[in-house]
Amino acid sequence: MPATDYQGTSSPLTNIGRSLLPVRRDQVHAMESPIGGSASNEAEIESFQRRVAERFHDLASVPSDELLSLPWVRKLLDVFLCCQEEFRVILFKNIALVKKSPMDRLIADFYERTVKALDVCNAIRDGIEQIRQWQKLLEIVLCALGDSNVGYQRSLGEGQFRRARKALIDLAIGMLDEKDSGQALAHRNRSFGRHNTSGSHSRDHHHRSLGHFRSLSWSVSRSWSAARQLQAIGNNLAAPRGNEVIATNGLAVPVYTMGSVLLFVMWALVAAIPCQDRGLQVHFNVPRQFPWSAPILWLHERILEESKKRDRKNACGLLREIYQMEKCSRLLGELADSVQFPLSEDKEREVKQRVKELEQVLDALKEDLEPLEKQVREVFHRIVRSRTEGLDSFAREHNPE
Amino acid sequence: MELPENLNKDSNGYESAEKIILRWDSTASEDARERMIFETDRQEADLYLQAVDEIQRSLSNVSISTSSNAGKNANAVDDQSKVNTTIQIAMARLEDEFRNILITHSSALETDSLFDPSSSSISTPSHHELEEDDTLSNDDSSHHHDLLQLQLQHCESSDSSTYRSTSSIREVDLMPSEAICDLQAIAMRMISSGYLRECIQVYGSVRKSAIDSSFRKLGIEKLSIGDVQRLEWEALESKIRRWIRAAKVCVRILFASEKKLCEQIFECVGTDIDDACFMETVKGPAIQLFNFAEAISISRRSPEKLFKILDLHDALMDLLPDIEAVFDSKSSDSIRVQAAEILSRLAEAARGILSEFESAVLREPSRVPVPGGTIHPLTRYVMNYISLISDYKQTLIELIISKPSTGSRYSGDQTTPDMEFAELEGKTPLALHLIWIIVVLQFNLDGKSKHYRDASLAHLFIMNNVHYIVQKVKGSPELREMIGDDYLRKLTGKFRQAATSYQRATWVSVLYCLRDEGLHVSGSFSSGVSKSALRERFKTFNAMFEEVHRTQATWLIPDTQLREELRISISEKLIPAYRSFLGRFRSHIESGRHPENYIKYSVEDLEMAVLDFFEGYPVSQHLRKRSQ
Repeated sequence: MPATDYQGTSSPLTNIGRSLLPVRRDQVHAMESPIGGSASNEAEIESFQRRVAERFHDLASVPSDELLSLPWVRKLLDVFLCCQEEFRVILFKNIALVKKSPMDRLIADFYERTVKALDVCNAIRDGIEQIRQWQKLLEIVLCALGDSNVGYQRSLGEGQFRRARKALIDLAIGMLDEKDSGQALAHRNRSFGRHNTSGSHSRDHHHRSLGHFRSLSWSVSRSWSAARQLQAIGNNLAAPRGNEVIATNGLAVPVYTMGSVLLFVMWALVAAIPCQDRGLQVHFNVPRQFPWSAPILWLHERILEESKKRDRKNACGLLREIYQMEKCSRLLGELADSVQFPLSEDKEREVKQRVKELEQVLDALKEDLEPLEKQVREVFHRIVRSRTEGLDSFAREHNPE
Repeated sequence: MELPENLNKDSNGYESAEKIILRWDSTASEDARERMIFETDRQEADLYLQAVDEIQRSLSNVSISTSSNAGKNANAVDDQSKVNTTIQIAMARLEDEFRNILITHSSALETDSLFDPSSSSISTPSHHELEEDDTLSNDDSSHHHDLLQLQLQHCESSDSSTYRSTSSIREVDLMPSEAICDLQAIAMRMISSGYLRECIQVYGSVRKSAIDSSFRKLGIEKLSIGDVQRLEWEALESKIRRWIRAAKVCVRILFASEKKLCEQIFECVGTDIDDACFMETVKGPAIQLFNFAEAISISRRSPEKLFKILDLHDALMDLLPDIEAVFDSKSSDSIRVQAAEILSRLAEAARGILSEFESAVLREPSRVPVPGGTIHPLTRYVMNYISLISDYKQTLIELIISKPSTGSRYSGDQTTPDMEFAELEGKTPLALHLIWIIVVLQFNLDGKSKHYRDASLAHLFIMNNVHYIVQKVKGSPELREMIGDDYLRKLTGKFRQAATSYQRATWVSVLYCLRDEGLHVSGSFSSGVSKSALRERFKTFNAMFEEVHRTQATWLIPDTQLREELRISISEKLIPAYRSFLGRFRSHIESGRHPENYIKYSVEDLEMAVLDFFEGYPVSQHLRKRSQ
């Protein structure tokens, strides 16, 4: 390969590699400064705990109609990124301690947890892609029933409704959770009963391929389970014992904190976004003495409650916008099944109202879905980076044999 | 019914058009549901398309007329609604036809008619990535490979020497041109009627599953990062090999051909539509493809992974320009970015592994001395490793950009060796790393040599191992060039020094027996030799030599030339000394009783005995007196 090929790509890499070093050196220096020592370390850990608590208080203080909305999920990820960054700084300042027992084991456990979170990030990325597919189907509905693309007051005819209904059927099938697809088929027959008699040969094929399509959208193997992955992340996550805290000069506390934050954030993502084999039965046994335990436990409880609501029980994701998509499409589907032509003014008004709601949901998705996808990717990167840094610094000291 | 004037004008055309559309309304008749127009009746298909055009024309006319009448005309509203419904029926029909054509032709590629089983024998591949076809456990994947090759053969039969190559982008015609024409005709009408979204949706869903089946044939699995972490390295190695081959086919043939198909169908239909369709089809599969490489790039680092990681890096580096060409649009930004990210992670992993290797070599803890002072397994491992590194020189010179983190001469750190960079001015960081690895290896070996109780054996051990290092370096021109003759001379000096030290440690005391001092009785004139002292000398010499012979025959110098040289060097000192000692004092012994008890060995005996040295076998009996 000619050397010129490398110029473009290899130089950014070196920058990444290098940018870390000065940071490390500065921080090592800071640790050695005369003010340093364990008192300032303790204060730092203390303030980390406090800031984590504040951030989750902030997240928990949303009214229930904003909980699990796209902006809330994005804020949640922001919180994660901030905590992760502060945690990383604490580790660097204490790099010598991190390499000693029992910290080395605690931190190795932590990195194990984070690697497991990477698969959740990828699953969530797939889930976001799936929401995007639903979004596209709803855009067809909007296109059929909305008036944005026509410059005059157009009355809605049967043709438009047929078009919308087709997209709504696809959406309903697409939104079904895989595990209750049998139940779902019955549901489809009921709610689109009038139309079912006319299900054509190729349309059946089409629906089969839609189901197939959904399985294609997961990039992990069919046996992968978000629920099990969450359990693995939370495995053996226990508050440090007193002697551990002392032996690690207090560092065991932020490690536990970050482990809990990781678990909660991943759990909340799985709760909100569709992914393979969702399941929310993860135990949070956070002792009350941690200042952040109260808001996290409260959020946990509220999200669990949300998942138990009758109309959310079988949802493929608790994301508020998904709920709104479902609701909108269900109401529109019912309307489409019941209307007579020509439309009465009442019906027409009702349809217009629903379409307007639909438009709002789609606007929200348009606004936040892509940034959310980028953020999930950023979480992925940060986890990888912090782990790589950890591995690198271990490599210098540890005997790999 | 009173038709608006402009509709009235074409009413005949409109009505017959509407008739055609309604005849094929699949919600209305069994026949319409079962039969596909484009599949069964070419003429009808053309008529149908014309009918759609006709209806579309009326729709725009109706729109104009109703808007000018401000919607007051109830009939006009009716008409408009009717036309809309007809359009919807037509579009639903066209969507089904579109899907059907797509489905028909996405399976056509995989029919047996294209696949000739004897074609497997044509693969005497000139291209190295095909050499390992036999490692594929999955017969399907080679099947597909042949299939793709065959397609390529079909497309470019004129250029048979390169048709198998996956070294550059090679688009394949995924569909016959008639199908593309039909798809284009349908797409044009769906899009002009505002059914672009449906069109993309259908296109994406069918092509996506076509790609999915190609993926399965190529052996591209869905593996999570967790799966990759859990797999044994050997299993991963073969998966990496397969992935590299599959990724080339994916990017250069599969994705590139998908892109071409999108362009063929959609390019003239509207701007960016081809792109939207391409991404709809390929984004998921591309992510799935890259997930594996990404998982490898963040997997646990260990020395044995370096070379496969470099293979992966090189393959991806090689693919990158083509990835950029295939995913050149703004909407496929994320895929380009991900590929570049993985590449940089792989580079980072390679750097990390190298420095991890260095520290592993430094701290390799085995303490049990290898018997006979031969080459330590660590030395073999490390030297094989770095000669492999030199095979990857081209890549690693680009990746390894910082000097090794060595100990410092003045740090007083006893656990890390020093390295003088000043003498190594002008060397690449990679070369410095290689030299550093050798330095670290010697440091570790020096430590190990201290576990030998016999100092001679310790020297022999160092001699053997450093000699092996030198031979390994000389054996690889790449390595020799990087290490440099200066450093090589240093190493040569070191094993020669060890040889000298060995000889001193073993032979000085033996040869000391053959000195004159202490044998002459002072005062006597002619025969002033103390017989008893002389007898003692011979006995001591015999005993010492026997002991050295016994032990050192079991020592091992695996390199024949080195072994030979050391024996010669021993003989050169021992034989003349013994010969002259014998010459001077033989008569004193032979004149006494039982001379054979003191002169047990002839010069020839010793010459023969030296040949037993360093063979690594215990000598079966006592040193034999061969000349008897």
